Amino acid sequence: MREHEAARDWIRSDETAKQMLSRVLGDRAFLLLPPLHRVPLRAGNVVEITGSSPTAKTQILIQAAIACILPKTWNGVHYGGLEKLVLFLDLDCRFDVMRLSDMLKHRLLEANRIGNGAWWQLEESSGVKNCRGAQDKSKSKSKIVYDEELYVSCMKRFLYLRCYDSLELLSSLKTLHYRIRLQEACGSQVGVLMIDSIGAFHWTDRLSSSLALDKNNRKSLSLTNVVETIVQEMKKLMRVHSLVVIATKATIYEEKYPTNENNRKLSSNNDKAQQPPFREFMPSSWQAFVTHKIFIRKSGDHHQSSGQQSLSAYSLEWLQPQLSSIDRFIVDDVSKLDPFK
Amino acid sequence: MAPLKHLEMENPIIDACFRDFCSSHGILTVEDFLIHDLYELAAFAERQVDADRLKEGITVMLSLVEVKCRPWLNGMELLEDLQRNKQTLSSGDNGTDSLLQGGLREGQVTELVGPSSSGKTQFCMQAAASVAEKQEGSVFYIDTGNSFSARRIAQFICGSSAAAVLRKRVLSRISCHTVYDIYTMFDTLQGLEVALRSQEQMNVNECRLRLLVVDSISSLITPILGGSGSQGRALMVALGYLLKKLAHEHNIAVLVLLKFRGIGCVILLQSSFFLISPSVLKVTNYTVGAGENGKTKPALGETWKSIPHVRLMLSRDNRNNSCTISILKHTSMLSGQTVTRKDNQQCL
Repeated sequence: MREHEAARDWIRSDETAKQMLSRVLGDRAFLLLPPLHRVPLRAGNVVEITGSSPTAKTQILIQAAIACILPKTWNGVHYGGLEKLVLFLDLDCRFDVMRLSDMLKHRLLEANRIGNGAWWQLEESSGVKNCRGAQDKSKSKSKIVYDEELYVSCMKRFLYLRCYDSLELLSSLKTLHYRIRLQEACGSQVGVLMIDSIGAFHWTDRLSSSLALDKNNRKSLSLTNVVETIVQEMKKLMRVHSLVVIATKATIYEEKYPTNENNRKLSSNNDKAQQPPFREFMPSSWQAFVTHKIFIRKSGDHHQSSGQQSLSAYSLEWLQPQLSSIDRFIVDDVSKLDPFK
Repeated sequence: MAPLKHLEMENPIIDACFRDFCSSHGILTVEDFLIHDLYELAAFAERQVDADRLKEGITVMLSLVEVKCRPWLNGMELLEDLQRNKQTLSSGDNGTDSLLQGGLREGQVTELVGPSSSGKTQFCMQAAASVAEKQEGSVFYIDTGNSFSARRIAQFICGSSAAAVLRKRVLSRISCHTVYDIYTMFDTLQGLEVALRSQEQMNVNECRLRLLVVDSISSLITPILGGSGSQGRALMVALGYLLKKLAHEHNIAVLVLLKFRGIGCVILLQSSFFLISPSVLKVTNYTVGAGENGKTKPALGETWKSIPHVRLMLSRDNRNNSCTISILKHTSMLSGQTVTRKDNQQCL
């Protein structure tokens, strides 16, 4: 009888298709991170944002990071975030935390202003928080204070590391798994891994490839090997943790096609194969790893109606998957404005 | 590239047996270890006789690598470090200070670009004088074009009533080093790094290095850039990262100067002024070249644009005798803002 039961247990299914779908959608849900919200991203996607310098790429990363670290709701105010950790690998070593902090504060203030119609005043006195909700319908400019505790908890979800060369990057990636496990033991999950400027060590690695001496049986520290190992380590990470990878890439060659979007649209009717508007320099192992591609270019100045100085406008184009619309945006002082046409 | 056998003394598990196994897979140094797949290596180790010992060796190696890694900092810790260690240094000129919201920032590389005789060197010397006098920090001035003038700096030290003693003390904080090629530059900077590290260990805080100036980084880099080879650009990137590391780890401001490259005048390369203030690294890198449609091309190439934190452009208007500073790029401010000031300012 025991064998019958064992056999029956083995044949019986673990879960139905509906259960599996709900489990997978819950674990690896779709993320909509503005301003990359045109295409919903899932865990396992690798997004590459290319643009020359300066084209607000780090700005996009910061905005996506804020969308990730905010909670969904807090104290009754809806923020719409994912409440997950963001791992920021700074290879460019130019990250300014004040920018992140200012944008987060602005976002919190805005959400407080438009959320629920209630104006909250929060006071913090030696750790004890008093919340007084004032249902003020009139437009009196009472002090809108953002929630300090929320701000601190959001900032703590942003993890940052800088690497000054590829060896440091490799050693960080190899030990990343254990560190994520430590963080997850505290209860928080990793949502996004961001890499600022994946091509930062391109030239120094290329130099090491040309200097590689010992060829027999040894893998040299060449550009292809280093990038292959980086891709390998990241694939291993993505198998175990459900995260999205967003990497920026600064073009290191000048734009060969000094075109604006109009020219490209005219020429694309003739071309069968769409030429990328920049010269690709990353090895093929990285190119195969990337699942989504975005290209940002400067698109002329935007003159503000209020007579202030003109701000530079940029256009964001999805290359993979190819979307026909192009988003344009400008970077304002405190926050990034919504795409305008 | 230290070979593995140097680790045996402190970690007896990395014995000859382990090293033989590693070398059979082509791993002779720690760097080789980093580019190999560790799970694959562990799987190979399974097949060996002393599998457990080998796998333990791999784990020990991994933990050694982890010890060397930097810790992950969260947002609050970054803010704390910024507020505690990285101050803003006045650049000596009120207009510039208001434009940059305080002045040159420690931990950042600032680049100053402009055509020749637009006042870049004056700006650098004014900043050096201001840092040495007001912030009481020392200045490391790297001069590549013999444009350093102690007399001019003395003029910037405020007040004709400044006592000779004060002037002498302030000037003694500025050390000038002449460097004519990039290899000497690497040498100098690495020596500086070692000196700073030992200084920090001994906790000497008075008169610490705050500003590092590199007058004309372009005169160091342009001779080695050329053609499609990667050596020149690799050296340039390595220099840029060394400056960024100095700036961030030792809380120095780095100021770098770059000269313009005129159309047709290939010889006049833009020199970047690197005013390296141990607190603030300012780098100026600007080039004007015969680009398409008369656009300006970067002097040191597209790659250099991602090195400095802040890029400022200095332009001079000879009719009004004024010069304008505009922001080309900043990590936390909008670009395009400008400020104009009159010339011949002796002191604030």
